[in-house]
Amino acid sequence: MADPAVVGSNSLGTGMRSGGSKNTSSPAENYHLARRRTLQVVVSSLLTECGFDSAEKAAVESLTEMIQSYISEVGRWAKSCCEHTARSTPTLSDVVLTLVEMGFNVDSLPVYAKRSQRMVITAPPVTNAPVVPKALMAGQKRTHPTHIPSYFPEFPDPHTYIKTPTFREPVSDYQVVREKAASQRRDVERALTRFMAKTGETQSLFKDDITAFPLIAAHPSSIPYLNALLPSELELQTLEETDSSEQDEQTDSENAAGNIINDESGADKENSVLPPGGVVPAVKASEENVIDNPYLRPVKKPKVRRKK
Amino acid sequence: MNRKKDKGFESPRPYKLTHQVVCINNINFQRKSVIGYVELTIFPTVVNLNRIKLNSKQCRIYRVRVNDLEAPFIYNDPTLEVCHHESKQRNLNYFSSAYTAAVSAVDPDSGNGELCIKVPSELWKQGDEMKVLKVYIEFSLDQPKGGLHFVVPDEEGSMAERGAHVFSFGYQNSTRFWFPCVDSYSELCTWKLEFTVDAAMVAVSCGDLVETVYTHDMRKKTFHYVLPIPTAAPNISLAVGPFEILVDPYMHEVTHFCLPQLLPLLKHSMSYLHEIFEFYEEILTCRYPYSCFKTVFVDEAYVQVSSYASMSIFSTNLLHSAMIIDQTPLTRRCLAQALAQQFFGCFISRMSWSDEWVLKGISGYIYGLYLKKTFGVNEYRHWIKEELDKIVEYELKTGGVLLHPTFCGGKEKDNPTPHLHFSIKHPHTLSWEYYKMFQCKAHLVMRLIENRISMEFMLQVFNKLLSLASTASSQKYQSHMWSQMLVSTSGFLKSISNVSGKDIGPLIKQWVDQSGVVKFFGSFAFNRKRNVLELEIRQDYTSSGTQKYVGPIKVTVQELDGSFNHTLQIEENSLKHDIPCHSKSRRNKKKKIPLMNGEEVDMDLSAMDADSPLLWIRIDPDMSILRKVEFEQADFMWQYQLRYERDVVAQEEAISALEKFPTPASRLALTDILEQEQCFYKVRMQACFCLAKIANSMVSTWTGPPAMKSLFTRMFCCKSCPNIVKTNNFINFQSYFLQKTMPVAMALLRDVQNLCPKEVLNFILDLIKYNDNRKNKFSDNYYRAELIDALTNSLTPAINISNEVRTVDNLSADVRLILEEITRFLNMEKLLPSYRNTITVSCLRAIRMLQKNGHIPSDPSLFKSYAEYGHFVDVRIAALEAVVDYTRVDRSSGELQWLLNMVQNDPAHYIRHKILSMLSKNPPFTKAAESSLCNEALVDQLWKLMNSGTSHDWRLRCDAVNLYYTLFGLTRPSCLPLPELGLVLNLKEKKAVLNPTIKPEMAGSGATEPGAGTNFHAPAAAFPSSMEEEHMAMEPPTSAAALPPQGLKRKAETPLGSPPEPGQFNPQEEEDIDMDTVHDSQAFIYHHLNMLERPSTPGKEPPSMEQAILSMPATPLPVFSKETNSSSKHSEHHHHHHHHHEHKKKKKKHKHKHKHKHKHDSKDKDKDKDRDGHGATNSPASGRSLRSPSLSD
Repeated sequence: MADPAVVGSNSLGTGMRSGGSKNTSSPAENYHLARRRTLQVVVSSLLTECGFDSAEKAAVESLTEMIQSYISEVGRWAKSCCEHTARSTPTLSDVVLTLVEMGFNVDSLPVYAKRSQRMVITAPPVTNAPVVPKALMAGQKRTHPTHIPSYFPEFPDPHTYIKTPTFREPVSDYQVVREKAASQRRDVERALTRFMAKTGETQSLFKDDITAFPLIAAHPSSIPYLNALLPSELELQTLEETDSSEQDEQTDSENAAGNIINDESGADKENSVLPPGGVVPAVKASEENVIDNPYLRPVKKPKVRRKK
Repeated sequence: MNRKKDKGFESPRPYKLTHQVVCINNINFQRKSVIGYVELTIFPTVVNLNRIKLNSKQCRIYRVRVNDLEAPFIYNDPTLEVCHHESKQRNLNYFSSAYTAAVSAVDPDSGNGELCIKVPSELWKQGDEMKVLKVYIEFSLDQPKGGLHFVVPDEEGSMAERGAHVFSFGYQNSTRFWFPCVDSYSELCTWKLEFTVDAAMVAVSCGDLVETVYTHDMRKKTFHYVLPIPTAAPNISLAVGPFEILVDPYMHEVTHFCLPQLLPLLKHSMSYLHEIFEFYEEILTCRYPYSCFKTVFVDEAYVQVSSYASMSIFSTNLLHSAMIIDQTPLTRRCLAQALAQQFFGCFISRMSWSDEWVLKGISGYIYGLYLKKTFGVNEYRHWIKEELDKIVEYELKTGGVLLHPTFCGGKEKDNPTPHLHFSIKHPHTLSWEYYKMFQCKAHLVMRLIENRISMEFMLQVFNKLLSLASTASSQKYQSHMWSQMLVSTSGFLKSISNVSGKDIGPLIKQWVDQSGVVKFFGSFAFNRKRNVLELEIRQDYTSSGTQKYVGPIKVTVQELDGSFNHTLQIEENSLKHDIPCHSKSRRNKKKKIPLMNGEEVDMDLSAMDADSPLLWIRIDPDMSILRKVEFEQADFMWQYQLRYERDVVAQEEAISALEKFPTPASRLALTDILEQEQCFYKVRMQACFCLAKIANSMVSTWTGPPAMKSLFTRMFCCKSCPNIVKTNNFINFQSYFLQKTMPVAMALLRDVQNLCPKEVLNFILDLIKYNDNRKNKFSDNYYRAELIDALTNSLTPAINISNEVRTVDNLSADVRLILEEITRFLNMEKLLPSYRNTITVSCLRAIRMLQKNGHIPSDPSLFKSYAEYGHFVDVRIAALEAVVDYTRVDRSSGELQWLLNMVQNDPAHYIRHKILSMLSKNPPFTKAAESSLCNEALVDQLWKLMNSGTSHDWRLRCDAVNLYYTLFGLTRPSCLPLPELGLVLNLKEKKAVLNPTIKPEMAGSGATEPGAGTNFHAPAAAFPSSMEEEHMAMEPPTSAAALPPQGLKRKAETPLGSPPEPGQFNPQEEEDIDMDTVHDSQAFIYHHLNMLERPSTPGKEPPSMEQAILSMPATPLPVFSKETNSSSKHSEHHHHHHHHHEHKKKKKKHKHKHKHKHKHDSKDKDKDKDRDGHGATNSPASGRSLRSPSLSD
């Protein structure tokens, strides 16, 4: 189906992408492998120290795992301790405290460090520290002001708090707004009616070209007065909106100015004659119970049939 | 009929009805049928009451019992088919007289009726003792075409879920269409009404709902109503449907009903009804006469408002929500009208048809008072002017509206309205338009009476009428007192003179007893030397529809020193009137000028004539004469009048006068008025249109932007961007109406090429584009509709070559834009319909205008689809109007047929009526012009339509008559072939004359001849028919004068059906029926009903029919005998008389002849049918069956 060029380019694209991902992940992997290897060497030398000649690979692996856990735990705990004291970098005392907490006799440490049979291990090969992909720099990174000690954490990256204006200034020109609203509405209406006309029956004004100016066909309804008399949902909706925001001033401020003055006479009169919607029924609703209207009375049960 | 000398009311019936029970047991919506019975309680007022005549139409009557005894009865309705015999006459004169005769023959006001019940002989004795008779009638209605209207939407679900409902309707007294009764406004009785309906439905009727009881199966319930106030049958109504019920929050005895889902609208629309109640009760100082009031809103209503005793039926389309501006005042007006008629029309009824004007007048007058109070004096005066203009125009066009016709003289030259093509003797023969104008004139005349006797007295008179009536209505057992509830012209006038002590005789004589309006022409000159205004007032009282006025007239002169009223006396020969002026001509010192209302204003007097102190002059400023004034004064005077006169009527007069003065000064005056916010908004709206006209007249010298554009921009557009209209805010109604109107008027502007200026069109398109209603609390549907109307107004004829086919490609750019908008609006309406579909209505009009101007192909199919049943009624009317217009322009017989078809078959009565009246207003052709549409088939079709096809609806029949008149005139349509015989024998004069129709111009002239009825030979000339009829029509009037005594005539009549048995009846009896010949009345009625159901396809009924009908004297004949001379121009009439003579002479032979003739007839039947071709009636009729025993022998 698809033409070969597209397929080719697609596969090419994915290939490139996967290649890229491998490159980025390999330094971190190397780093971890190197560290593990160093730990294995350490475990092996300790075993040698203890007099083992050989060890199963699995045992070495387990021991490596254990030592790694231990070191990690020490580091983690030390960090907690330092943060507890509102610092960011652990100090010796933090490590000591950690070791104490972990039930390690710290005093034995210097002795152990100075043991005679200690094997010296060569430093692990220097591997590149994993390149942390740099966050996009946005703006100047702020330095601490002078009154903040330098050990306090640095400011976060600027992109987290700097506002970057990515939109254009909205058009506030009244004329353009109206223009836009008008043409938008017109487009929607036209599209909608065209759609309706395309999908349904139509009538035409021209015999030669029935697609020009299509009119949605008139269909009689069984109760025509309902549609014609009841306000449409849209109208009801706008009515609610205008009711709630009746005091909204018009966008065009002078729009109302002329009217307001005249309103009073007209509106007064109108209000006196036209009680606003729900007021009347609401007041009278409570009296509803006492209204004696023959049409509200219950229907009587038939009497026993009289004989004719 | 005639004005009674005393107030006493004489019943035309030999009995008094006191109580009536109407019980409808079953209403079947599926089959549209109704079953029930009525029981009338009557007191005979004569000894030996042996026959009871009642009114009943289309009811199938199963049995009649009088005091539990089976009673034979006869049912005959001559109005079913007006001209029975298949005459070739086809002229309207003939039809009108026959129709009037038919209506008279069943007119309850003359004691007649369709249903004649013979009182069983066992009960005759009772008459002596004046004992009560109970007449029990079982009846049913099957698919009634009139009287009751079923609305059954075609949907799923039960009838209640579908919103099916039924209601009674009719024009004037039409209750006989749905139950047997005495269908007269003067026969009052108390009522018990019972209706059994589905449990999910409500039956609303007149009077108090006493109780509602379930039937035994609990699936139905019965509504029991009692109406203790004596009420005439025409004021009884019924509405049944699944109505939602709203008890009025202010008045708990008032209940409103509407169709499902409309309750919120009902709540809003009814929220001010209590104010109307309070207003009427206050001015009339009388409580609302009934103990309750009900309003019911139904679909497919016959008229917008109809009032019945304690209830009114309205069109559901009057309901509106709070968002709708334009409908609100209209609905309030309708409610006010309905309520006014509750007092005068329902509670107070009338003695006879000629007293109708009092009721219509009073209800219209108090309705006007309500308008004044609610909508203000400006609105009221504007309305009065509008009504006055309407009536003046109508009377001048048709020749006059007569409020109080008297038919006493009986001589045909006394026919009060020879200028009309219909009789005004009965409400049922009136054209609808005439009746509307009649009501309009009635209330205007009431206002004239008020001017004369003061409003205080006027209201006292009304109060007196009401309190008399309410005293009478409480007299339960003294039914003779009930006539106090009937108003008569004489009684009303007597009340007026008692209360006010003033003689209004001349006023009544001028406006009530006489038709026509006054036409004044005024002009003036200022005599500087004498400082006198020389006013000349001339009258035209010779042209049709006018009358001469003699009496006082008020003239108001606005001078520099103030405004002065002068009362001049219009006399026979004085045309000139000198009016001394108060001010010495023009002064230079600047001083404020006092106006009529005491206000003092600064005026720029530079436009004035320096020699004259006159600013403006008004003739009859209070409209206290029914008149048209054409007054000549200088343009600057009209301009002053427009600017400074505070009366809206004066302003409107000035505006219409200024149309003739297209000058910059007029332009300025109009623009100033437009801007003046204190000015009445309707004046400002009128000024818009005048300004457009002036601008068009001044097109070559016009400077600046198109008229009103800058004004509109200033008032309604944004300050910052003047091309964009503000977002809608219609809270100020005055500016709303102006904002709506200005674009419509601007679109009428034309440039030098007579095109709408591009600037204006773009302006309107921008208004549409930038219209934004989101922040408005009111709907903008009317505004948008008017913007479309503005687009319509901007259209001018296309400059296509006439034969070129209109295609999309050669649309002009402007039209393309317009069409784009219309398409979008029309399509959007399908998704978001506007209130009352105003936008669709405007779009349809616009499309028709585009077609008419040749921009798009003329094609009625779109309109036809919108005219189908099932669209909103306003849309249908707009579409039908377009089809009617198309029919005229394209002379399409297919469309005309389609329209006439709809007239016959559409379920909605209003639509049928509208089609005919639109066709009459915009006729496809007229009697004056030749047309290919005018052919024999059309004549036959229309003739059938008015003769028999519309018997179920008086209004429709009169519409059909109107259309026939518009198309063919009064005489035989010119397209008909000449009758076979060129020579006509005049047996009386014993000579042969040339058939008058051979001279068509003569026949044609008959239509315009004002006194067609007065000249005896003229109508005869207009009746080109078969020979035997012709000769009878030609008979000179001497024979009519020498009438035989009625008894003898009767005798002559009876043998027609069957042998008479004279011993059985009192020989003095006027209208004798040979009851015993009707052996099986049930079977007989059955036949009749069959005929009833298909009145337009007669000829199938069995021959026995013929005999049965002929046995009945309830044909038009009795009426003729009584009112002989008044209608003696009718040919049928003469024709009968002729026979009467014959019968008298050869009474004995007679029987034999008729027997013979019947055979002859039935034999000939098939032949006849073939000959007639169009299957027109051959139902037995006086005309044909009587036709010439002499010839058939």
